[in-house]
Amino acid sequence: MNTGQIRNFAIVAHIDHGKSTLADRMLEQSGAVKKRDMKAQLLDDMDLERERGITIKAHAVTIPHKKDGVDFLLNMIDTPGHVDFNYEVEKSMQACEGAILLVDASQGVEAQTVANAYLAIEADLEVIPVLNKTDLAHARPDEVAEEIENSLGIDATDALRVSAKSGEGVTEVLDSIIDRIPPPTGDSNAPLQALIFDAVYNEYRGVIVYLRVMEGTLNRRDKVLMMGSGKVYEAVEIGTFRPKMTPCEALGPGEVGYFISNIKTLGDLRIGDTLTLQGKPAQGMLPGYAEPKHMVFADFYPTNPGEFEEMREALETLLLSDSSFSYEPVTSDALGFGFRCGFLGLLHMEIIQERLEREHDLDMIQTAPSVTYKIKRKSGEEEWVLSPGALPNPDQYEEILEPIVRVSMLIPAEYVGVMMTIATEHRGVYVRQDYLSTTRVQLVFDIPLAEIMYDFYDKLKSATRGYGTMNYDLQGYFADDLVKLLILVNAKEVDALSSIVHKSRADIRGRTVIKKLRKEIPRHLFEVRLQAAVGSRILARESIAPLRKDVTAKCYGGDISRKRKLLEKQKAGKRKMRQVGNVDIPQKAFLSVLGSDDK
Amino acid sequence: MTFPRTSPPAAPLPRPEPGTALYVHLPFCATKCHYCDFFSVPAEGQDLEGMVESILKEAAQRAPRAPKTLFLGGGTPSLLPANLLQRLLDGLQELTGWRESVEEASAECNPESLDSDKAKALLDLGIPRLSVGVQALDDEVLELFGRVHKGQDGLRALEAARDAGVAQLSADMIYAWPGQTLKRWEDDLGAVLELTTQHLSAYNLTYEEDTRFKRWLDQGRLSKAPEDLELALFEVARELCGAAGLAPYEVSNYSLSGHECKHNINYWQNGTYLGLGPGAVSKVGPVRAGNPRGIASYLKWIDTCGHATQWRDEPDESTRLAEGWWLGLRLAEGLDPAAVRTAAHWQGDPAQDPALPVARELVDLGLLETSGQEAHERFRLTPKGRPVADAIAVQFLRQLGGNQDPKPTPEGPLE
Ligand SMILES: Nc1nc2c(ncn2[C@@H]2O[C@H](COP(=O)(O)OP(=O)(O)O)[C@@H](O)[C@H]2O)c(=O)[nH]1
Ligand code: SF4
Ligand SMILES: [Mg+2]
Repeated sequence: MNTGQIRNFAIVAHIDHGKSTLADRMLEQSGAVKKRDMKAQLLDDMDLERERGITIKAHAVTIPHKKDGVDFLLNMIDTPGHVDFNYEVEKSMQACEGAILLVDASQGVEAQTVANAYLAIEADLEVIPVLNKTDLAHARPDEVAEEIENSLGIDATDALRVSAKSGEGVTEVLDSIIDRIPPPTGDSNAPLQALIFDAVYNEYRGVIVYLRVMEGTLNRRDKVLMMGSGKVYEAVEIGTFRPKMTPCEALGPGEVGYFISNIKTLGDLRIGDTLTLQGKPAQGMLPGYAEPKHMVFADFYPTNPGEFEEMREALETLLLSDSSFSYEPVTSDALGFGFRCGFLGLLHMEIIQERLEREHDLDMIQTAPSVTYKIKRKSGEEEWVLSPGALPNPDQYEEILEPIVRVSMLIPAEYVGVMMTIATEHRGVYVRQDYLSTTRVQLVFDIPLAEIMYDFYDKLKSATRGYGTMNYDLQGYFADDLVKLLILVNAKEVDALSSIVHKSRADIRGRTVIKKLRKEIPRHLFEVRLQAAVGSRILARESIAPLRKDVTAKCYGGDISRKRKLLEKQKAGKRKMRQVGNVDIPQKAFLSVLGSDDK
Repeated sequence: MTFPRTSPPAAPLPRPEPGTALYVHLPFCATKCHYCDFFSVPAEGQDLEGMVESILKEAAQRAPRAPKTLFLGGGTPSLLPANLLQRLLDGLQELTGWRESVEEASAECNPESLDSDKAKALLDLGIPRLSVGVQALDDEVLELFGRVHKGQDGLRALEAARDAGVAQLSADMIYAWPGQTLKRWEDDLGAVLELTTQHLSAYNLTYEEDTRFKRWLDQGRLSKAPEDLELALFEVARELCGAAGLAPYEVSNYSLSGHECKHNINYWQNGTYLGLGPGAVSKVGPVRAGNPRGIASYLKWIDTCGHATQWRDEPDESTRLAEGWWLGLRLAEGLDPAAVRTAAHWQGDPAQDPALPVARELVDLGLLETSGQEAHERFRLTPKGRPVADAIAVQFLRQLGGNQDPKPTPEGPLE
């Protein structure tokens, strides 16, 4: 197909601003999907995605559209709207020439709008602002247009006004994609250069690779070379998304589609790699993407130590369909063998954990998520510390460095004061504030990632009555006065319960953690003593009194098997627990080291 | 919905050797008590006679000859009219000759169906030991329990039995019910001990799965007695029984010397026994097996096959050991690890007995104590260990039972 009749675009939006709905409506109007085939939000197809209402994986789809008697193919790449999945957004952008910046006309510009719009601008895309949900009575399109101009410097006076819900204005959006977004360029006879911007694992088909042809032509049965990994595959099937996968014979410049080969796992594939022909390779690679940044780490241990191998298999399988987390074996004195897993963020961690339990029926103990630290040795060398438990003794290092993120909060002006206080309490350092309009402010702070990981977002939400949003970017690793908070259970240090905290907070943190543990750890036949310490200094102590009365069960009639099973059920109640020494510690207790301090 | 199968799903255990303890489960009660998880159903509209005939048919195939103990349990055996009791006990006599062999023969009775005539009838039929479910003396609590009798009825039944000449009389009492005070318990126990001079069982109320009480507890309509009170109630029972000359021979059982319940001691010693009737359980060798907790399937299977074995439980070696410790430690005399191994059919090297390290740990915690020489060392609960006997049982099951998940107990088809 003539590249002049192709347009490639992404929709970037803050979560819930209507991206999936708009995509559905476009497909419907184009006739690509019959109305009765429409499931709401056709593009979100994983169960979990539907349940949580977030788009996790980017999806691509081709929308045919006729304008002035000419047939066009518009390739749309749907992108996730949660900060955890930012890197997917970046990938998608590279495959496009333009982006629709979709803003909810009642909510206004929000943190993800700004973050994603900047990604689009940086990728040199033509950005088309679109105001959605104009059907709502409290829509304020004029003000929101002004917010777009002030926050992004994009002219939004003529921004399209649509209702993705009713379909109003959607044809105009399709038309303006054709008018405003430049067609892709590329020579169909040049050596093949195709960008791999995504891949999914399908149980039946194996790995499905999403690609965008930049130069040259990919034909079915071609032998292709992944320029980054050096691997060679045969393009067993190629095709486009309409929205179902539709095989074709060739994909030319500007086209977005898929290819299927005998690729077993997502791990074999590098997103951002350049695909070329083995027989006629391109000169160079396309600019690739950065590896996903793992912001949060947590250790997973099987509840039953015998299930380590099962856990490894489950993680391997999961990696087939989500290459954006990582795992490596770890050992803990307290918990034995397990895996340290890296995630894009907390939501990503929860999703992975849920999938492990749901799809693989694993019972596991998960340690509190933490960020990664670095230590600077006396020699000046820097070293990663992947978990608080792994931090060496203070005499082994000069300083501890922690990741600092630049947090951008978009909030109604009246909440600036309270958010400043909250950010400062989280060891935030003020950077700047900008008024997007008379009522909305962008407030920027540098805050340690560890401080915002747990409940900062919730605090922002509640302090701004739900109107505030935030986004963050890694700034780098910086030193601070950090110490390791040890937790001792019956005088024995439990590495999986230790954490790294700011020195000034150690006391209160220690007291809070110990109090929580006291609530979470069940009573035993003996006293359980809990202590929090920094070095050899004990900061807090509590004890859990032993059980004094637990007798009872009438047992005669010989129905001993049943009674035993009842007792064993008490034991099974301990499934979500791990024994450390002879103390049963439930899963929830391991998460106690997170959370807010008592005042 | 499962339909009753036409034949029992499991093979019956072999007929145990002569002398084995015999249990008969009579699953009918006046009403269903709200805390009860025994297999019992309201008697109204049930074919009592048919049940007796079925039990005899099952006995013909399974009952041991010359049992040493006989126990009629339930349910409420005293609810059967005298003629049916006679039919049952005479029938069993023909099949086993129990009247000549037993050292002890008991029947459970409830106040509403125990008067002096019933007591005499039982005595005449060869049952000298009656265990009466008095449970409580407070009318309101009895109503909360869902029992049909009043407080005074319990005392009257004990009196009637005593006056009818029952010389082995036991009372069942429940403590730690919602709202119970120490004073109430002392008064009630005192009143009961005046009338039952031989034996008393005092059970801590438990909230069992699938009972109304459990549901009410979960809904917050009932609340458990505080731990300190439970403990005090437990200790007071020991004191008052002791003062009345009844020694604690098991965590919940007290008796005059020589009046310990032999039949129950056999369970606690993890011995062999044979159970007849719906829901009844048997243990022969290392294997336990049970009849369905359902009337219809029991009757049907007995009718077609003469036995109604619905499930078998063959715990592995170390679980059997754990069971032995759990049960044996309930006895005041404690246990001899060698005897536990024998009863558990444990084959391994005694030096490798996995229960011993668990036991020693509990000794270190002051929950168990030992007596006797190395070779004949006995273990028993200390005063501190006694009130946490169940938690101690869980320790043994847990550390010895490996990681195997409890197999679900197959339940009979719902009726
Ligand atoms: N009233 C109204 N609601 C809309 C419109 N577009 C989307 N929504 C609703 O907004 C919510 C979020 O939409 P969704 O498409 O999932 O947003 P996404 O997170 O950006 O993909 C859903 O409940 C939609 O039904 C619109 O134009 N008008
Ligand atoms: S009388 Fe005994 S067996 Fe019958 S329902 Fe009440 S507690 Fe259960
Ligand atoms: Mg969506």
